Amino acid sequence: MRKLVQGNEAVFRGAVAAGASYYAGYPISPSTEILNIASAYAAAHHQTFRFLQAEDEIASANAVVGASLAGAKAFTATSGPGFSLMQEAIGYAQKVGVPSVFVDVQRVGPATGMPTMPGQGDIMQVRFGSSGDYTPIAFYPNGVEEAFRVSVDAFNAAEESRSPVVLLSDTFVAHLNEVVDLDELAADLHVTPRDMPPLAHHIAGFPRFFAGVLMYESGPSAGEPATADADEYLRQYYDAKHRHLDVAGRYRIFEHGWNREAEVLIVCYGIVSRVAAPLADQYALFRPIRIHPVLDDELREITQGYREIVVIEANDGQYADMVELALRRDVKRVPLLGGRISIEAIRDGLDRVLAGGPAEPPIPDAPAERLAPSSLGIG
Amino acid sequence: MPELTMAEIGYKRHLKVELFPTIWCPGCGIGTIMMQLAIVLEEMGLDETNTVIVTGIGCTGRMGSYLKHESVYTLHGRTLPVAEAIKTVRPELNVIVVAGDGDTASIGGNHLIHTIRRNANVTVLCNNNEIYGLTGGQTGPTTPTGTKTLSSPVGNPNTPINLQGIVRSSEHALYAKTTVYHLQHLRNVMREAIEWEGFSFVDITSQCIENNGRRIGFASANEMLTFYRKTYKRAAKGAEALDEHEIGVLYPAQHPSRNGRTDGAAITNGHATPEPSVTASAPAAAALAPSEKAKPQASDEEKARRRAESQKKLALMQKLDPAVKLRVAKGEIGLADALREAGVDPAELEA
Repeated sequence: MRKLVQGNEAVFRGAVAAGASYYAGYPISPSTEILNIASAYAAAHHQTFRFLQAEDEIASANAVVGASLAGAKAFTATSGPGFSLMQEAIGYAQKVGVPSVFVDVQRVGPATGMPTMPGQGDIMQVRFGSSGDYTPIAFYPNGVEEAFRVSVDAFNAAEESRSPVVLLSDTFVAHLNEVVDLDELAADLHVTPRDMPPLAHHIAGFPRFFAGVLMYESGPSAGEPATADADEYLRQYYDAKHRHLDVAGRYRIFEHGWNREAEVLIVCYGIVSRVAAPLADQYALFRPIRIHPVLDDELREITQGYREIVVIEANDGQYADMVELALRRDVKRVPLLGGRISIEAIRDGLDRVLAGGPAEPPIPDAPAERLAPSSLGIG
Repeated sequence: MPELTMAEIGYKRHLKVELFPTIWCPGCGIGTIMMQLAIVLEEMGLDETNTVIVTGIGCTGRMGSYLKHESVYTLHGRTLPVAEAIKTVRPELNVIVVAGDGDTASIGGNHLIHTIRRNANVTVLCNNNEIYGLTGGQTGPTTPTGTKTLSSPVGNPNTPINLQGIVRSSEHALYAKTTVYHLQHLRNVMREAIEWEGFSFVDITSQCIENNGRRIGFASANEMLTFYRKTYKRAAKGAEALDEHEIGVLYPAQHPSRNGRTDGAAITNGHATPEPSVTASAPAAAALAPSEKAKPQASDEEKARRRAESQKKLALMQKLDPAVKLRVAKGEIGLADALREAGVDPAELEA
């Protein structure tokens, strides 16, 4: 049945369609609806779905790890500051190989920042947020139906790669309401089943030892530290990296559209691509949906015919850096900062940078009355 | 007649002895906790199909790698969210958390408070050695005031955290305090904690001779254990709280076994019924066979006699071939028969 569905709800419904049976979270705008919906769903389906409102995002993320190792498809949702707190557990999940999904509904940071305004400032946090080297897989939809589909993809990719997959969103995508038929979508889905045996169901007679520290993982020496064995590190690291890249290769999801004959290609993702839609006649669009690892090959091939490439994003050039790195070519940047994601800001920015101007927009002086001593006598 | 229980012989099948020696310093108390835990697991019939060990970071955290159980070696301080989630998803599993005082009460302190509040059905065995040992001996949350450590060279200015108070803030949680000297008590309370339906916490005072004990004036681990023997006393029955040097179990206010009274049965959580054994705690044993298994009050003479008997049995065991010992441990063959096969007169058992 076609219904008005919110972006956050679509993410949750996608998770359930993909077989999720555990949610742990902590309230934080603008992701809170997912927590609310999860608690209501758990109350109605307490046999099949478990819910934990944890004391903080650190506990949420670690509970997701524990639940997943125990055999549940588990996920959590948060926003920038909470996502920062989860980085340690994400690193653990990368090291140990824990299938799990972390939803990050971005707002304007750093720190508490502008809690109710949309941002895209966590693109690099997804890539490099935890310590050490790892190869994360991440998706970023731009609408309600896509949020549902990509949520399923995220769970499938997590199972296939045995890693924590990040599902990015932003305030506007999360709070977007669109008419979609999720039941119809759910009827025709591929869902990857859990492959890894749950805790206390080990095979081959060797109890497993899931350790964040480098250890020999199998055979009789399982549990012996490998903390000074570079070869063992290389084996485990490249095994994970190749597995993640292989799986990422199955999800080369992107959009190349609008006016493909135009001279200028706009690269944008998430809500920015929706806000920029009135420019469809004048520009071509490249929109990565699987945002990590960066779609190098696709970017190289698609960008060839265009005179200029402009990356428009609600951060100060985080994805633009990755595009430049992939293409080894300068790109122009339109940063939409402070939550000002509007067609006017995009038009102004495009006009400015295409005319050779700087990425930084002109900033008006603060109004005089704000600078004046306060009427309360402070300052 | 008290016997050497099979658990005391068979505990080794819970340990990866092939990885020994452990990384722990000579004289460390963690090995004691691990061995007593292995005995308790054996007694209770817990194995790798029904029990999961969750450990934290630090010396204590390494215990998971020596136990033949599936275990999760979590991030520093994050044992409890992981354990709670495992228990939520797989309620049929026994989830045992083994972590140090720093892991549990400092970096994991917030998780501790809230896991207690939610009364997660997990057991925490907290190795409380009053120091950060793995990093060389820094002040921990349980370090007594005035103790000199690497990070408090003029003495710890702060008061130690009140673990008893934190755990007892819940109407549902079980709190037990014991030491690595009081082995029987340690096993009793560990068993009771694992059987406890709800959150249970065993605060185990243990010695870190290398990175704490020597610095505060002990010459050896033995001296520290002697100190525990002389200082720690069992709490009086009906005690509402445990003093600094008292060991015992504190039950929630409404519980029938509250404060060590044995007039009520401890709630068990439907584990595979363990064989009653002499090491079963009084209330648990009472639950199994109320009339016979209530712990008799043994005189000092009786205790000495039992101790001698048990030591004799262990000495006789040493005469056996290791393979035969294993068969005895598995219960395939009785000790008397094994001795007879080995050419030792089983009458020595009675002598």
